[in-house]
Amino acid sequence: MESTKSNTADRELRLTRTIDAPVELVWEVWTQPEHIAKWWGPNGFTNTISKMIVEPGGEWDLVMHGPDGTDYKNKSIFKEIIPLKKIVYEHVSGPKFVATIEFEAQGGQTLLSWHMLFETHEQFIQVVKTFKADEGLKQNLEKLNQYVKGVNPM
Amino acid sequence: MKTRRDVYQAIADPTRRAIINMIATQPHNVNTIAANFAVTRQAISLHIQILADCGLINVKQHGRDRFCEARLDQLNEVSTWVDQYRQHWESKLDDLEKYVVQLKNERNGKHKK
Repeated sequence: MESTKSNTADRELRLTRTIDAPVELVWEVWTQPEHIAKWWGPNGFTNTISKMIVEPGGEWDLVMHGPDGTDYKNKSIFKEIIPLKKIVYEHVSGPKFVATIEFEAQGGQTLLSWHMLFETHEQFIQVVKTFKADEGLKQNLEKLNQYVKGVNPM
Repeated sequence: MKTRRDVYQAIADPTRRAIINMIATQPHNVNTIAANFAVTRQAISLHIQILADCGLINVKQHGRDRFCEARLDQLNEVSTWVDQYRQHWESKLDDLEKYVVQLKNERNGKHKK
């Protein structure tokens, strides 16, 4: 595809975080369904993981249950697994993206790098727009607005 | 019936993004813009109309020429929402971090018994 040769800045997201726990534990929490169900998805959502085979070509089926009862199915395929170092998975249900999560041991801490590359700028914008419509986020923004108004003396 | 136009619709099309890039640094007239693309002048005019409707460009008439200039401040709306989406993932990392640290403490607690 033509867009693969061009710069990816308009369709990617990068995050990093240092977690105060050894890499073995962070890896465990990322790769075992019973753990991942505890923190994945937007706030107020619960998760059901019916399949999670953490090996190259392995499938990962996760359903997020929204607070209003709506289910959001997510299907991914793991592309690359380097124990304690790297996970690459492709989200194959829409929106399509490839996520690369790198783990780096730093003493007793772990530096986590998270990169999401969407197939196209259009899909990325679609996701951002969908997110714009997210009711929970709106509520959070309203709360934040109220809070900021209360703090600001003007 | 009025179709809702917004900044996302404006930038959803690669030709429209290319037009914005072209006029980002200096205004150009419609003919100059059209000459840069392999599509018809009519197609470019339609893209320019959509960009104008979405508030991303201003079109000004100078004699027989129509000049397009970019209103890049409007693009901030997109980066604001990209930031919101980033915040969502940051908050996922918060949850992961809390969960991992809690688990670590629980396990350490058990070892000490």
